[in-house]
Amino acid sequence: MPSDTATHALRPRPRIGVRALVAYLIAALTVAPLLWLLVTVFKPGDEVFRPGLPSRLTLDNITYVLTQIPLGRYVLNSAVVSVAVTVVALALHSMAAYALARLRFPGRQLIFSLIISTLLVSLPVILVPLFLVVKQLGLLDSYAGLILPAIFHAFGIFLLRQYYLNIPRELEEAADLDGCGYFRRWWTIVLPLSKPALASLSVLFFLANWNAFLWPLIATQDPNLRMVQVGISTLQGQYVSGWHYVLAATVVAAVPTVVAFLIGQRWLVDAIKTSGLK
Amino acid sequence: MTVVQRQSPGRTARPGDAPRSGPARGSLAGRRRREALAGYAFVAPDLLGLLVFVGLPMALALGVSLYEADGFGGYTFVGLDNFRLMASDDQLWQSLRVTGTYVVAFVPLCFVVSLGLALLVRDHFPGVSGVRAALFAPNVISLVVVGIVWQFLLIDKQGMLSNVLRPVGLGDVSFLGSPGLAMVTYILISVWFFMGYNMLILLGGLKDIPREYTEAAMIDGASSWQRFRHITWPMLRPTSFFVVVNSMVGAVTGLQAFDLVYVLTRGGPANSTSTVVFYIYQQAFGFNHYGYASALTTVVVAFLVVTTGIMFVATRGGRFHAE
Amino acid sequence: MFRSDLPSPASVRPPTQLSRRSLLRGIGGGLVGATLLGATPLLSACGSDSSSGGGDAKELTFWNFYGPNPDGNPQSKWFVNLVDTWNKNNDVKIKLHYLPVTEYLGGTALQTAFSSGKGPDIFIISPGDFLRYYNGGVLTDLTPHLGADAISDFSDGVLDTRKVNDKVYGLPMEVEPLAMYYSVDAFEKAGLSEGDLPKTWDALLDVAGKLTNPKRFGVMFETAPGYYQNFTWYPFMWMGGASAIPENGKPGFNTEAVHKALGLWQDAVKSGAAPKKTKAEGGGNLPAHLGAGYCAMQQSGIWSVSQMETDAKNVKYGVFPLPVPAVGTYTTDMGGWAFVANAKGGNPKAAAKFIAWALGSTDADGVERMRQWNTVVKTNIPARTSVKDAATKAGAFEKPALKVFMEQVAPGGRGEPRYTPEVYKAISDAIQATMLNGANPAQAAADAAGKIDTFLKGYKGAPIL
Repeated sequence: MPSDTATHALRPRPRIGVRALVAYLIAALTVAPLLWLLVTVFKPGDEVFRPGLPSRLTLDNITYVLTQIPLGRYVLNSAVVSVAVTVVALALHSMAAYALARLRFPGRQLIFSLIISTLLVSLPVILVPLFLVVKQLGLLDSYAGLILPAIFHAFGIFLLRQYYLNIPRELEEAADLDGCGYFRRWWTIVLPLSKPALASLSVLFFLANWNAFLWPLIATQDPNLRMVQVGISTLQGQYVSGWHYVLAATVVAAVPTVVAFLIGQRWLVDAIKTSGLK
Repeated sequence: MTVVQRQSPGRTARPGDAPRSGPARGSLAGRRRREALAGYAFVAPDLLGLLVFVGLPMALALGVSLYEADGFGGYTFVGLDNFRLMASDDQLWQSLRVTGTYVVAFVPLCFVVSLGLALLVRDHFPGVSGVRAALFAPNVISLVVVGIVWQFLLIDKQGMLSNVLRPVGLGDVSFLGSPGLAMVTYILISVWFFMGYNMLILLGGLKDIPREYTEAAMIDGASSWQRFRHITWPMLRPTSFFVVVNSMVGAVTGLQAFDLVYVLTRGGPANSTSTVVFYIYQQAFGFNHYGYASALTTVVVAFLVVTTGIMFVATRGGRFHAE
Repeated sequence: MFRSDLPSPASVRPPTQLSRRSLLRGIGGGLVGATLLGATPLLSACGSDSSSGGGDAKELTFWNFYGPNPDGNPQSKWFVNLVDTWNKNNDVKIKLHYLPVTEYLGGTALQTAFSSGKGPDIFIISPGDFLRYYNGGVLTDLTPHLGADAISDFSDGVLDTRKVNDKVYGLPMEVEPLAMYYSVDAFEKAGLSEGDLPKTWDALLDVAGKLTNPKRFGVMFETAPGYYQNFTWYPFMWMGGASAIPENGKPGFNTEAVHKALGLWQDAVKSGAAPKKTKAEGGGNLPAHLGAGYCAMQQSGIWSVSQMETDAKNVKYGVFPLPVPAVGTYTTDMGGWAFVANAKGGNPKAAAKFIAWALGSTDADGVERMRQWNTVVKTNIPARTSVKDAATKAGAFEKPALKVFMEQVAPGGRGEPRYTPEVYKAISDAIQATMLNGANPAQAAADAAGKIDTFLKGYKGAPIL
């Protein structure tokens, strides 16, 4: 399950043929819009719509959005929510997955089926009633309202359960010998063993929550709780001639995701590949 | 993330699953009870969370669909009126057409492109991992950023793309302002965004095809098309099936049907890109028709349940491998 | 409303607020939710200050799209000062809550807040939104807090769309007429002069065509659906003598004048002279469009004069009244936002008092405050005679653009209509379908008229003006 990552070591045939050239070309075209965004952000404001490279590079646009717009606040909110969701979700999902994979209790199969049956349900579908529920719980316009609904999703439970099914039982039995309780067994044996799976999921969860737009849009009205995607989406039209500011803000919003991707690329790729396989 | 898993619940109880009888501490019954208690305790938080934040909303949608809101906190019981309204709601049908068109165009196109890319970067060549990362890169960035960037690139007359296309006489094309074209643009941007993601899944599937098969075929003199047709394609079928189903579900109910539409077109021009989920959002939060929006939610949930059921039966309980 | 066949619940169904308990029971006591949440109502308004009404809260929230804006522009400062001045002298404090204008106009924040029972105590609305909130029962009568001299100080007609049964429910802070702006530079480069400024629709299309080139559109109208687009289109409808709803014995929306007004925008877009999509969000944003060379002529309101001053100082532009059809009389649409007090808020009385003080004070401070707003930090036509006089005395309307607004644009103007969301939506669909989707104007108008008629049959709210 923790799939071997050395995919490209399959058959080393290093030759730059037509295939490679085509691949380079497509890759370049794919990232071209993003590179153009990056170039544009460092252009002086009046050159934004001029084709070609900037006459000089400037940090004005970035500085402006960091100082004149509460973008820092938006980024901070997103960071708090994304990290909180990721940490709590991993802990809860790991516990649940462990129980579903390893512990025997009546109704386990039913509970598992119930959880799996929610896999297809996505936020856009249940948005309206979820809003009503969260409103009733008094969680609108609060960090809890942003965090709690984002935690619970069957996917993480499912993936971790698959992972735990494949952990050799012998490892746990050592703990059994020591007379550990189930919680300590999970904490001291299972959790450390699941590091690769948790790493994959943490990248996935972080990205999903950092990039979240719909729920934060609905769940908060308070500008102090605005998350970064909602924040940048409201910039259009707000700054009278401001495409360069809007774009600068999008770059700031995208940087953490790119960093997370670069750091967690291997795990992320694992998670995605395995999601289609197990 | 909406990810369909190919694991059938029926297959989960494996023989190795049952705890082997370790050194018994206390009575077996006591141990069993403690294990069960621990099991419930471990599952409880997630189960409760899913009940409150997924199960309850689904059930609530059905209840609220029998009411209509006045937008100021008051609700009136209207029976099945909300469901009756659907038949005569032009814009609902329009949004169904939008979602239908999107699914029919996006799913096959994205699959073919993703598969092509997966085959392209399957074998090693210098810089292959960089190429893979580049192809996946759009998927890392949020749909909001994607929407804003493309809006910028596609500005009429003055945008980057108009500048590029002007020499060939296409400088005046309004990619987001003409209804038909806006839909095409939305589909193509979606493909651009998702192709890397599907490519990775397909790469995983390709990797699982034993090398020996293709090598044997090569020795037998099979052409690359023949190898694809008779080895790769059949063996990749489970993965392909997963990718297609996953894209289909995402196209109907995923964030791409909302976030991207919201930022890129707001459902316009002239409602030409207003998807079903975007329409539900508008009904609820734009016009305060929480009851009608809930009725629509109920229908979508019912549709999903039926589809899942059919898929489950059609694939013999989620078993996609011919076993 | 999309479902135009159904009259709005607010207007037709008896406004009985059903008991929350019974609703919960109705939803089904067997639901997991009922058990999970105990007896707490699922749908009711929450928040302490919401359902009471007539309370005596000591802090009131004021939602607006001006301040405090983080960039601290003059308009934002005006709002901040206004509230500071009030707070210094009063026990009930006001707290500003800023929302970006796109969110306020195009977003759902205000409606969502009200439907969750957390509507702000004070907020600002345009006439287009008046009936939604009035019929929802959340607007406070401001008349008791306004002296007769204050009411009569408001120019003729500007209070009409804010009144029901002669009671004032909203106090306008400005009057914003619509006109056409043109780029002097674009005109000169195209070999056109001031004498070529179009006076008729035909001339408008003709001149727009001449001004169009590969990098620039000749003329721009708002393209995004919304209250603003409707607002900018109404003058063209009125000029031919039409109206959206049957009034004074005139027929409703499906008339030739409407077909022609829809046709004008359609022709402008079809010919390639007008864009199908604005460059930045907001067709009333002059610096981002005309100022950035996206179009040579642009329909916008008087507010754009101050926009240009802050954001596109070097662009030379002029203003001329909206062109007139072959058969018809000149008119324009006069917008403007008003302060309103939430009748179900924490302290409606204090909120109303604040509004009357802020916009209706007839003392020297009050007049000066409004002069600042209307002609210094922003450009409007003042809604009050005393303010208009003070501004004129200070030379506010000597600037060429404002002079045109005062002397040529505003006379003959008509207040922005207060249509219900249902009427608005039907018209919006017709505009979008014809302008951007090539629909036949007659067909689109007939569709919309059908929806409007059905709606009006069941409508029982305040008069639609």
